[in-house]
Amino acid sequence: MIEVLAAGAQATVQDLGRTDCLRWGVGTAGAMDPMALAAGNLLLGNDANSAAVEIQVFPFRVRFTQDGAFAVTGADCAATLDGLPLMPWSAHRVRAGQELHFGVPQPGRWRASRAYLCLPGGVDVPMVLHSRSTQLRGSFGGLEGRALRRGDALRAATSGADFVSSDIGILPPALALPLERDGCPAMRVLPAAEYGRYTQASRDGFWRNEWKITPQSDRYGFRLAGEALRPEAPMEMRSHGIVPGVIQVPPDGQPIVQMRDAQPSGGYPKFATVIEADLWRLGQAPIGSRVRFIETTWDEALDAQEELKVWLEEAARLIGLHRNSQGAA
Amino acid sequence: MTDPSSDLAARICGWLAGTGIELFELRGPGTLIRLQRNGTTYTVPPATVTADVVRSGSVGVLRLAHPLRPAPLVHVGDAVRAGQALAVLQLGAVLLSVAAPRDGVVRRILAADGSTIGYGEPLVELE
Repeated sequence: MIEVLAAGAQATVQDLGRTDCLRWGVGTAGAMDPMALAAGNLLLGNDANSAAVEIQVFPFRVRFTQDGAFAVTGADCAATLDGLPLMPWSAHRVRAGQELHFGVPQPGRWRASRAYLCLPGGVDVPMVLHSRSTQLRGSFGGLEGRALRRGDALRAATSGADFVSSDIGILPPALALPLERDGCPAMRVLPAAEYGRYTQASRDGFWRNEWKITPQSDRYGFRLAGEALRPEAPMEMRSHGIVPGVIQVPPDGQPIVQMRDAQPSGGYPKFATVIEADLWRLGQAPIGSRVRFIETTWDEALDAQEELKVWLEEAARLIGLHRNSQGAA
Repeated sequence: MTDPSSDLAARICGWLAGTGIELFELRGPGTLIRLQRNGTTYTVPPATVTADVVRSGSVGVLRLAHPLRPAPLVHVGDAVRAGQALAVLQLGAVLLSVAAPRDGVVRRILAADGSTIGYGEPLVELE
């Protein structure tokens, strides 16, 4: 239903991820901003886990080859449909031949770096190991296990002909559930296994200082720059299992946060872990921006996860009410 | 697209005709219908567009800027295209676009940012 006319590097098909295959050494992949993916899907009446296109280099342009519908969420890229400006985080009807254009992310009230294009019923690519997410390292999932290229065609799982809630939008969770420290986007973090083996100054500094997202940051991991984290004594470790969110510290003391395409194992000391409920906030942080970390507890991490679930359920309920009132026409 | 609420309002007018009710209000998800007795008939608020005035098709809190953006969606004097969002009505987490019914130029903004809007209220004047 869409043909890719112009794609920057590394636009991929992603759902919420391949979460149950770590035991076989298969990383999770999945959307860097699962809240944006879920919200876009809810706007179309899709399952929250339906696959969409994640765009991280702009501009990006597609042509619709059939009538239907779509939703745009994530970074506000001043998207236009045949030149008509679209609201960010909204769903629209579309006719065959129309062109959708994503420009560069706008500064606005939320600095974000990745946009999502959702289609009715989700992007129809084969399920591989229980997920449609692109596994770039293993070259499977998504569209032929690779990033999208000009000329690629993607099908939507359903036609979208029954989509009645055109021009409906949703408040981005970054505004509805903001989290900042001293004006800096923040993420809640749990101390991890080797946290106690770092100097008191390093532990204090980790929470007190800003961390810059360096250009060596991508879907695999975010390399941060800041005041180096120093262990009390050098550590030699065997490789062990790691998950997205784990903050490792290589010998130079500059931490690396594992992201969605992280390998499932690694040997650097684990200083801390960004909680699952806040990974979307980090996943949207642009290169060059700064973030802060807030120490949290296991119980608070579970509460944060519950808060996201409740927010999505309420959004789905309100969208459903609107759809029903429109559908009665 | 016909507005379902105007059909409903017309039907309610029929039911009200034989009563002494002066003012009738119906609230539902995304809908507010207010009918006022006007002599022997009831006045139905116009559905979405009358002449050059774009009216609300829903209740909600008016946002002249999208919450993500510092600048208003349109300014007086802007040329707009049919379907373009002129403003947003917010109902909880849901944001409904107040779309231009045709190509035109924004002549006046008729309601204040942040005000609570009822069904059929005039919002934007086009020329």
